[in-house]
Amino acid sequence: MSTSLELSMNKKSKGFDFKRFIINHNYILSLILMLLIGRIASDQFLSFPSLMNLMRSSVFIGIIALGMSLVIISGNIDLSVGSILALSAAIGVVVFNTTQNMLLTLVMCMFLGALMGFFNGIFVGVAKVASFIVTLATLTAFRSITIQFGDGGPQIVNHEIYFDTLRKLGYGKLGPFPYLVLIFVGITCAVWYLMNRTKFGRYVYAVGSNEKAARLTGIKVEYIKVMIFTITGLLTGIAAFLYIARFGSVDVATAGKGFELDVIAAVAIGGTSMAGGRGFIQGSFFGAIILFAIDAILSAFQVPAFVTDFIKGVLILGAVLLQKALDRNAE
Amino acid sequence: MKNIHKSFGAVHAVRDVSFSVGEAEIHGLLGENGAGKSTLMNILGGILRQDSGQIYIDGEEHSHLTPVKASRLGIRFIHQELNLVNDLKVYENLFLNNEIVKSGIHLNRKEMIRRSREVFERMNLDIDPTVFVRELDTSRKQLVEIARALLFECRLIIMDEPTTALTNEEIDNLFTIMRGLRDEGISCIYISHKMPELFEICDKYTVMRDGAYIASGNFADINEQQATEMLVGRNIDDDVFDKTDCVQDEVVFEAENLSCEGYFSNVSFKLRKGEIIAFTGLFGDGRGELSECLFGARKATDGVIRLNGDELNTKSIASVIRSGVSMVPRNRKERSIIKDMNIRDNISMAYFTSRHKGIHISPKKEYRRYEENRKATNIKAAGPDHLITSLSGGNQQKVIFSRWFGLDSDVYILDNPTQGIDVGAKFEIYQLITRLVDQGKSVIVFSSEFPEIHKIADRCIVMYKGEINKEFTRKELDEVEVMYYATGSNKRS
Repeated sequence: MSTSLELSMNKKSKGFDFKRFIINHNYILSLILMLLIGRIASDQFLSFPSLMNLMRSSVFIGIIALGMSLVIISGNIDLSVGSILALSAAIGVVVFNTTQNMLLTLVMCMFLGALMGFFNGIFVGVAKVASFIVTLATLTAFRSITIQFGDGGPQIVNHEIYFDTLRKLGYGKLGPFPYLVLIFVGITCAVWYLMNRTKFGRYVYAVGSNEKAARLTGIKVEYIKVMIFTITGLLTGIAAFLYIARFGSVDVATAGKGFELDVIAAVAIGGTSMAGGRGFIQGSFFGAIILFAIDAILSAFQVPAFVTDFIKGVLILGAVLLQKALDRNAE
Repeated sequence: MKNIHKSFGAVHAVRDVSFSVGEAEIHGLLGENGAGKSTLMNILGGILRQDSGQIYIDGEEHSHLTPVKASRLGIRFIHQELNLVNDLKVYENLFLNNEIVKSGIHLNRKEMIRRSREVFERMNLDIDPTVFVRELDTSRKQLVEIARALLFECRLIIMDEPTTALTNEEIDNLFTIMRGLRDEGISCIYISHKMPELFEICDKYTVMRDGAYIASGNFADINEQQATEMLVGRNIDDDVFDKTDCVQDEVVFEAENLSCEGYFSNVSFKLRKGEIIAFTGLFGDGRGELSECLFGARKATDGVIRLNGDELNTKSIASVIRSGVSMVPRNRKERSIIKDMNIRDNISMAYFTSRHKGIHISPKKEYRRYEENRKATNIKAAGPDHLITSLSGGNQQKVIFSRWFGLDSDVYILDNPTQGIDVGAKFEIYQLITRLVDQGKSVIVFSSEFPEIHKIADRCIVMYKGEINKEFTRKELDEVEVMYYATGSNKRS
């Protein structure tokens, strides 16, 4: 979808610049490469069900990565997403167990996520503290609240109701497509629209590219920053709801731990510039899938678990270096 | 210095300049903005390397200077911008890279502090060397910068506009120190735009213009009028620019007793419909800050701005834009262009913040807007989807103009609108500006280039040290006169 749109936009100007396109969207190359390597590792890798599985496992990181793209494009960073997920999900479980209402739980998770994001945003946008510091602080603070809240133990969804409601969302399918994957694609389209077809999207790019010029053009930079963090929190809240649906329980100490690194990795693989100003929403979508393709391939090759993270690190660095090299080539 | 040449790309910053300073002499270096003074001094300080020409110090040739070599030869450079590390203490800054050490590695703090105190005493200053530089105000920082030059043995001190941040008392103090140094046989090169200061402290002068040497001599032999004439030259641009007078009586925009502490005070003017007012002055006149205040980008500490008779709401920039005031900021690269965006989005950005209704953007309308603006301002670009950075400076500036022209504002504030663009593009920009007033808009131009003011301005207001010093009508405009008031020559008692 997004690819064809890019194509038609480019055609309007002078023909289609294939080289430029590949440089901008080099995550497509990475994805094809990963799928080919996966095919070598296992005959089943490219089968439809296994591809759907791959996408389903990347949903949580992927949805948060969509929000993180906004944050990084605006020239900031959000390290607190894992803790936001844990706290929203932990409270979400309690809400669900008492009300047995899925919609209410979703709304609650989204509200909590947005609230925590708003909190980050106020500090970054209005108080003008570096986002790295603000979210590093809330990373630990939100986690600590979560552990307090759950008394250190896991929050478990009531089994009898879980099987009839949330589990259907987490494991069910519409035809051949898992619900989670459909939701992921739907949210990606929505965020893509926000960033490419609304004023707000342009403001985010403008703030990340040249904050001073953005301000002198009449953009309310503080407001935009607050909104960016709030939206990221909101998306993380949605991811938290899906997390409950998929796993049926939340371990307050470990749920979402280290997510921020995977999320940032997904955004980086997707070709978003860490310096801000440039990036593609569809890139982060594919970036998350590539990240989990790497995981899947490594386990298909039966690589020992403790080596996996090392190889993952190398591959991520490689992807980012490739992007830099292509960028330089273009200039 | 003999036959020095230096060019940056196609621009000849310094052309065949020879310059000499004797022992125990305070030498004033004069020139307008961009005359090449700073470049020449940077070559002497070893910061830039000349393309050709020789430098002699005490009769010996030292043509390949580096900053380290220059300071070993006793040349000390006090820069126009401050080069202090805010997060270090005063004495640490003074001795930065020249630390006094005991037994190889251990810093001798006591000795450094003692010597710092000595220097400040000599300068008649009460700065505590153990406070952080961050805690000093700008004029004190400037004085610390000067102290750094005095701390070590030196033969020649270069001061590039050292007094812009100083109070009158501090300036007097500085002059006393300079005279003291001269008595010790130390020479000084003093760069300044301020005539009264130059006449007070300097013995000799050298004038530069457009990168070339103009004249040298003793200050005692000339007066301010003559100095200003040399500065400006007689070659006033004679290419006539067609400008019809379309000033109407109605006052559109008005500032009353506008002040911003530390930058400017009591600025009042009335802008009429179809009028172009030019503000000019020299470095440190508060012009840039004034332009920001008029646009709501900086808070004025006192005074009112009125638009069409009503007080302008300067709460946010967006509200100022919506009321009908647009601004093309100075320093395009830093303040105007959004470098990661294409031309189309760069044009539309101000429209989005002030006129666009709803949140949805229709690509079709954006392409149409681009096409209209491209024709109106004659942008030469490969296509709307190319990055703005792919354009030449002149075309980038036309894109920025397009950003604001589409808004149909009543008042256009243009801060240095032709900065860094070539002659042809400048001419096109002037045409755009005159087209604005033809349509009944009003324009305020902030500029330091006289030929530009001469071409387009109906009135010219000259600022000096944050105050309006003189106002000229179009008929009275004369470059020498303007320079006379911009340098504050009339303020000399």
